Amino acid sequence: MIYRASVLFAVALLGLIFLRLAGGYAERSALRPLAEHYVSQAPLELGVSNIVTGILIAYRGFDTLGEVAVLFMVAASVGLLLRKEEAGRKYTEEGRRKPAGEIVTTGTQVLLPVILTFGAYVIVNGHLSAGGGFQGGAIVASGVMLLLLADPGTRVNAAALSVIESLAGVSYVAIGILGLVLAGGFLDPRFLPPGEAGAFISAGAIPVLSALLGIKVGAELSVIIDRFGR
Amino acid sequence: MTTILPVSSILLVTGFGLALIGLCCILLHRHLLRIIIGSSLFGTGLHIVIVATGYVTGGTAPIIDRALGPAEPGRAIDPVPSALVVTAIVIGFAVTAVMLAYAIRLHSARKTFDIGAFTESKW
Amino acid sequence: MVASVFHPLNIFLLGLAGGFAIPLLVRISTAWLSAGFFIALVGIWVVSGVSLLRILAGEPPIDILTAGSQPPIAISLRFGLAEGFVAASVNVVAILGALHLWDRLRGNYAALLLYLGLTMGINGMVMTRDLFNLFVFLEIVSIATYGLLALERTPAALGAAFKFIMATVIASSFFLLGTGLLYLAVGTLGIDELIAARSGITGPIGEAAILLVLASLIIELKPFPANGWGLDVYETAPSGIAAMVSVGASAGVFFSLVKLLPLFEHQFTILAAAGGLTFLLSNLVGLKQSNIQRLLGYSSVGQMGLLLLALALLHQTGRTASIPLVVGGLFLNHLLAKAGLFWIAAVTRQRNVDNAVGLAGHPLLTALLTLFLVAIAGLPPFPGFWAKWELVMQLTSAARSPWVVLILAGSLLEAAYMFRWFVRALSPQEGRQVAMPSVSALFPVMAVALLLCIAGYVAARASGAGAPWIFAPLLVGAALFLLDWMPGRAKAVLMLAAVLSIGGFLAQAAQGIAWLFAVLLLAGSLTIAAADLYRDDVRPGYYPLLAVLLLSIQALLRSSTSLEFFFAWEIVTLSTGFLIMKGRRAGPHVLSFVLFSLLSAFLLLAGFAGIAASSGTTDLRAFMTRGPEENVAFLLLAVGFLIKAGAIGVHVWLPGAYSEADDDFTAMLSGVVSKLAVFGLLMGTYLAIRSEVGLELAHAMAWLGMLTTIAGAVMALRQTDFKCLLALSSMSQLGYIVTAIALMSHLGWVTALYLVANHMMVKGILFLAVAGIILRTGTRSFAETGGLARAMPITFGTVLVAIISMSGLPPLMGFGGKWLLLSAMMDKGWYFLAIAGLLATFLGFLYMIRLVGGLFLVRPEGGRVTAGEAPASLLAPQIVLIVGIVILSLYPKLLMDPVSAAIDPQFASTLVWNGMSLEMIYGYWNPAPTMITAVAIALILGLIARLLRPAPRPDAVDFRRLVMLDRLVPGLSVPPVAVVFWRSLANGSVGAADLVRRLYTGNGQTYALYVLSYILVVYVAGAGLVGLWIGD
Repeated sequence: MIYRASVLFAVALLGLIFLRLAGGYAERSALRPLAEHYVSQAPLELGVSNIVTGILIAYRGFDTLGEVAVLFMVAASVGLLLRKEEAGRKYTEEGRRKPAGEIVTTGTQVLLPVILTFGAYVIVNGHLSAGGGFQGGAIVASGVMLLLLADPGTRVNAAALSVIESLAGVSYVAIGILGLVLAGGFLDPRFLPPGEAGAFISAGAIPVLSALLGIKVGAELSVIIDRFGR
Repeated sequence: MTTILPVSSILLVTGFGLALIGLCCILLHRHLLRIIIGSSLFGTGLHIVIVATGYVTGGTAPIIDRALGPAEPGRAIDPVPSALVVTAIVIGFAVTAVMLAYAIRLHSARKTFDIGAFTESKW
Repeated sequence: MVASVFHPLNIFLLGLAGGFAIPLLVRISTAWLSAGFFIALVGIWVVSGVSLLRILAGEPPIDILTAGSQPPIAISLRFGLAEGFVAASVNVVAILGALHLWDRLRGNYAALLLYLGLTMGINGMVMTRDLFNLFVFLEIVSIATYGLLALERTPAALGAAFKFIMATVIASSFFLLGTGLLYLAVGTLGIDELIAARSGITGPIGEAAILLVLASLIIELKPFPANGWGLDVYETAPSGIAAMVSVGASAGVFFSLVKLLPLFEHQFTILAAAGGLTFLLSNLVGLKQSNIQRLLGYSSVGQMGLLLLALALLHQTGRTASIPLVVGGLFLNHLLAKAGLFWIAAVTRQRNVDNAVGLAGHPLLTALLTLFLVAIAGLPPFPGFWAKWELVMQLTSAARSPWVVLILAGSLLEAAYMFRWFVRALSPQEGRQVAMPSVSALFPVMAVALLLCIAGYVAARASGAGAPWIFAPLLVGAALFLLDWMPGRAKAVLMLAAVLSIGGFLAQAAQGIAWLFAVLLLAGSLTIAAADLYRDDVRPGYYPLLAVLLLSIQALLRSSTSLEFFFAWEIVTLSTGFLIMKGRRAGPHVLSFVLFSLLSAFLLLAGFAGIAASSGTTDLRAFMTRGPEENVAFLLLAVGFLIKAGAIGVHVWLPGAYSEADDDFTAMLSGVVSKLAVFGLLMGTYLAIRSEVGLELAHAMAWLGMLTTIAGAVMALRQTDFKCLLALSSMSQLGYIVTAIALMSHLGWVTALYLVANHMMVKGILFLAVAGIILRTGTRSFAETGGLARAMPITFGTVLVAIISMSGLPPLMGFGGKWLLLSAMMDKGWYFLAIAGLLATFLGFLYMIRLVGGLFLVRPEGGRVTAGEAPASLLAPQIVLIVGIVILSLYPKLLMDPVSAAIDPQFASTLVWNGMSLEMIYGYWNPAPTMITAVAIALILGLIARLLRPAPRPDAVDFRRLVMLDRLVPGLSVPPVAVVFWRSLANGSVGAADLVRRLYTGNGQTYALYVLSYILVVYVAGAGLVGLWIGD
């Protein structure tokens, strides 16, 4: 009781702080210099149309790399945690859930190609419009999830996925190093020509990085989902 | 579109509200999965807050296309919070995944999802 | 080319590419996996090390730009001196930690990858110059930790990990919010730009942003009381992981705080309060803890608190020049020592402090454990010692004394539980011996110990006390430790040779009174130490420690600054404690010895700091010129030295420590080691010379000394254990010396030195004689022995001579000492003291008669005791000491002249004893009439004694009555007030600890609530209650 009261009290205090923050907030009517720089210079420097992707892949590419590492480590952690001993595996083999009903199964057959195609589209168009490696990778993984829901007996080839994931990661770092050697610095995508903003082949190495990111994220999320599924 | 409050303020308040609900959920529900949902909600609420702070009155998505010509950068919203939040969402997802994996482990150890059952180490 | 190979960016390339490649390597073979992991890990360390060397060679800090753009447009990182120092030291510990954990890591590719990620993440936190990037690296570190915690599959460990995640998720979410709000307020995420714009960060949003970032960083450092989640993990995680979280991850967070500190310039008080509270209360709660890993957890959070406190206060007082030594030293000390402690607890498979593991048979393990415990307690020669000294000096001179008190109290508590572990681990354990760990298990522990020693030397150099002679005792000790496999007597001879040569070298550089002490104590220690030859067993570790002790005494006497003095003082304390530990039943007494010694040391530290603050120098010569402004410092120093002298009230450590130490070592303790307290007291009283209050304090000190004498004598009267009787007699005799010093006159001080010489020789003889008796009879009890006069005639003779000299009977030198003392007191007009002195002398006679009678004259009730004469190796040193007594009795001027000459310059300009010349003073001491008077007094006293217990004939029966005096005096004795007081203080602390730790309920939600509340408290402390109101 005292506990509940103190929780409510603490949350109420935090609510007061949040209210004050909301009260102190005034919507901006113009961009600050740094944001202005990104919006006006990114298309010129990098040839990207989607500024957010430009920031994510290039200017703050180091963050993105770190975030890829986070996902990668989570896949490993989940694997470490959910790794079962031999006896446990047998038990779950027996208690496995039945496949889902007809509608879900058929729906999956229809939807899966569409989902995967859409995911691929989102991945490769990240430099042009809303989208990018993360978003597309997540869509691809949702397809895998659907597959697992439809038939829990499906064996995702986790080994192959993990090799793909690793290769994508190593290639990502390698392209980053190419940027260091051939252009201005680590993760600088400008060692390939920026091309014309808005064209499919443009923005230097950003689409390549974006694709690698998509592959990696898709594979990682699929591995994680698969591990929970088992 | 006319609202009494600017649109970003509405988002801001919504985000803060979600975060508070998430916190209550973490602190008041003893079920591990609800705690995980709570922390996810808490994170999501804060992500909304950060995205909202990037809004510029009358701005549009920072993508150079028909809606936003290259010559008028002033009409774009601040792209930085959006970029940050993409990263933060992925990290939030990662943490949720780990927490869920732990919840499964804890459940198989004690056959319960009650957080009060895991107080062996204390003092 | 070299520059690009070792560019700090490669730390991340190695970490990321290595991490990504690990799942590929594991498909080739386990060997490839291990190789790849270590190439990456060692590569990270090499890169950081080489880059650090480049910076040390004078190159400018290395800026790492990414994406080919300048900050703040793109993320940048920086590798400067501080970053390099932290990164390189964390990386080396990471490598050693991986070796320690190798059993669990080998072949487990997920764990290897997480470990690599953890190490890289810490490096990133240290080096990044972008606030959001800092968040990303913080999450990398967190996720890696979450994953690694899964290596332990017990329900408790899994539960602890879940609580850890809950708390850190809340903290990092607030960090993210703070970061977002800072961007909103400033429009940039670059740390340098934020710092440059800090004065503009105002208003509700800016203020909240700063406070949220600050609060979540503090939370990540596990502040009291919002740290239960961290403690649970320390308790249940595998030792290697717990160590990495404790030292590595915390280092990353702490350095982030250092980096962002300019943003928090208005919050220094909050930081200091958070750190101080954590340091004090975590160490308090540690008192009640017996699970070792949790204990180390309390110590870890405490040390982080200390770091925080030091950082904030040094910034607040503008003493940033001391930060590298203080914060860097404390950081490195904690990093290495704490990792070593976690590892060694795992290596020796000790989970609980109370489970003795029988470490005593393993000199190497003992030495390693001791080394880490000493280091973590902030004792020399490790970096923590130099850092704490500097910290206390700076805070005192900045008038932050309450913080000094807090730091010293917390340190004392920490030392209490650490040394409790030490004592338990080393207690001899029948039948249970820890198995000798493999070389590969020991390697990381030994490596970290070596690094700790090197770091200690570097820190000493940085403190300006790196002269080789300071370290000579320790080096000699280390060399002898390497020869510890030799037979006992060979080691004894080597030790004597080392003390003679190096000690002689050290002694000749001492000045003035210190030189006198040095010569006297060197001669005394060599003579008494020679008696060690009577034992032919191996005595592992004894001789190296004895060498360290005896040489440090010499080093102490030649020190010219208070830092050198304090360093040597602490080494003397520690080696004495460890030597007492060699006694079979000494355990609990060692603990009280160490604690009282540390209490004394901390008082001295505070006193020295006070003098340094007002005089601006640590030179010991400043003592002689200071005036009344040093009254507080004098009080602190006097109390500190009195504790070590065993003055009444704080004597409770003395009887146990003296009685339970090895018999020959007790002689050293009483004869030689106790004299250092006297020396210190003499030195400290210089401060009181020039002030009225100081002289009043000195008068109080004189009474304290006299009461000590009386109390010691009374307690000695009641003893049935004759070794303990001698111990109390030692306390009683030191009381005389304290009184003599307190006279603050030339004559008093001459007397004090005369008494010092007398007491050293007398107690040397008596304890060595007792050692012989215990050797031959196997008992320490009066009831079980007696009538030894015929069996051990030589011992009887030496004891008789020593007793005569001690009691102050003519014609031996004790008489001169007592006479001088009485005349000095009369001269000063302290008549009551003189009368008390007479009473004390009378009580002294009684217990001395008990000793002689009980041991040599009266037969035990059971019948004859058969025993042979003590071995020659014990008798020879006694005879040498007797020769010393005789010489000084016949030619007192041999001692008096140099003493007088050494003292005179100090008093020449200040206190002149009635304006009389030296010759006139000596003229007072005409042995003939005084001897007659003394004999008359003795007769009268004897008569009184006879009247008290009239006996028919002066034969053995009479003595028996005296020996049985312990049954008669209870009515006369005081209740053990001091013992009761200190015991209830200790129990009270433990009780408080038990109360405070109830906060840690073990429930993850409670912990999460603490975290939330902590953030709220920090916010309100920073923004005030206005910060909760929507308007401005």
